[in-house]
Amino acid sequence: MKTYDSYIDSMHRLGRITGGIALVIILGVPALTCWKFGIFPPIGNLMAGISSLLVIFVPIAIIEVMMYTPMAGIGGSYLLFVTGNLTNLRIPALIMCMESAEVQSATEEGEIISTITIAASALVTTVVIALGVLLLVPLTPVLNDPTLRPAFDNILPALFGALGVAWMGSNTSGFAQWKVGILPSILAIVVIMAMGGHAGKLIGILIPGMALISIIFARFMYKKGWLMDETVAAQC
Amino acid sequence: MDNYLDVANSQFLAILGGMVFIFLLLQSSLFLRKAWNRGIESGMDKAKLKGAMRQSMVFSIVPSIPILISLVAMAPVLGIYFPWIRLSIIGSAVYELIAADVGAKSMGVSGLGGEGYTAAVFANSMWIMTLGIVWGLVVVLFFLNRIQGIISKAKDRDASWIPILIAALFAGMLSVFLGDTIAASLVAMLPGSTGPVGLGLPVLLISAGAMVIFGLLINRFKINWLRDFALSFSMIIAMASAVLISL
Repeated sequence: MKTYDSYIDSMHRLGRITGGIALVIILGVPALTCWKFGIFPPIGNLMAGISSLLVIFVPIAIIEVMMYTPMAGIGGSYLLFVTGNLTNLRIPALIMCMESAEVQSATEEGEIISTITIAASALVTTVVIALGVLLLVPLTPVLNDPTLRPAFDNILPALFGALGVAWMGSNTSGFAQWKVGILPSILAIVVIMAMGGHAGKLIGILIPGMALISIIFARFMYKKGWLMDETVAAQC
Repeated sequence: MDNYLDVANSQFLAILGGMVFIFLLLQSSLFLRKAWNRGIESGMDKAKLKGAMRQSMVFSIVPSIPILISLVAMAPVLGIYFPWIRLSIIGSAVYELIAADVGAKSMGVSGLGGEGYTAAVFANSMWIMTLGIVWGLVVVLFFLNRIQGIISKAKDRDASWIPILIAALFAGMLSVFLGDTIAASLVAMLPGSTGPVGLGLPVLLISAGAMVIFGLLINRFKINWLRDFALSFSMIIAMASAVLISL
């Protein structure tokens, strides 16, 4: 049997090759379209537009990578940053499946389950969007129906209500997870209330900010021994 | 070529979209197969691997529907195929519309599809939507190795801290999404507030309640098949209640 290290090395290789191809494809779409139709936007205007976005999106990209790659592991991370939809789809799918399989990130089993979960989720989303393109005409009135509007407007509360209660009630990580989750949640409520009740565009700053605060809380509780699970404590 | 929709809805872009689609299926399948084989090789229970795959697939259907809604919203202004490509690779609905708009404005055009939104402006939107979103992938391609190295070193130093650190990262994300919904309703309930309380908090509570009930059913009656569906069913119940409440 090959060692786990050689599996990880080959996963990095697969990730870099397919990720590199993905990057070429992403950039190739506008490039080929411009070439095919002979339309070239003036470079000055393009640079002006791009620079206004880069100052926001490059730092966000760096923070997202630092935040989500520890959860997703190696194989999962390469897929995560090609197929996107991190907070609304992949990370919730990942957390739920890791809970069910009772495995943890940064272990061999966690690495495997994470890659399987994110790949399976990406397959489904890719197919659903393609079906949407094929069925755009019949689907448009259904998706635009004002009666169904409240359902889709509230998909995030519906997702995080169920996922939140499941995660807080679990101890798959080896300790009662609500102990780590409860203080940041209360603090986030207070902070967002102080902001007038809506995080809005600041959500991209709030998520890493709250993550940092919750790491500090967790570190404090860990050092105090408050996170020690009863069973683990008994073994010690 | 003044009507940009001739470009946006061209067969050429449709073919590019098809190629992107095939690439994404291939890429995910390769990762899936590799991880699966490793799991079997290292002696993991096949049922566990299958369970994770099935559960992830079932769950991913409902949260994919809002992506279709943004596709429908973008199609009249940006055509069908480029939004398809952008939403399939990395993209997110909110980002794409903002970036496309920046693309129009930087060409001196007031907005998407408006007066003066020519093929060249559309091309500018395409470039800006693309160049704004690729950075996560670029960072991963160049730095994932190093980040994982830091994690595994930290793990060697103190193995029991790592699961807590990862839980804390997720808690940070979860807290903001819970906080955003709960704070909006609480602010609306404050004395002197005139705004509507909104559906966010009721939906959140119904969804959480449904999940608790499903959890009890699964554990009490050993209904194992329900595990795969519990999160999706809770979401659908809560979303259906949002529709019922607003009727």
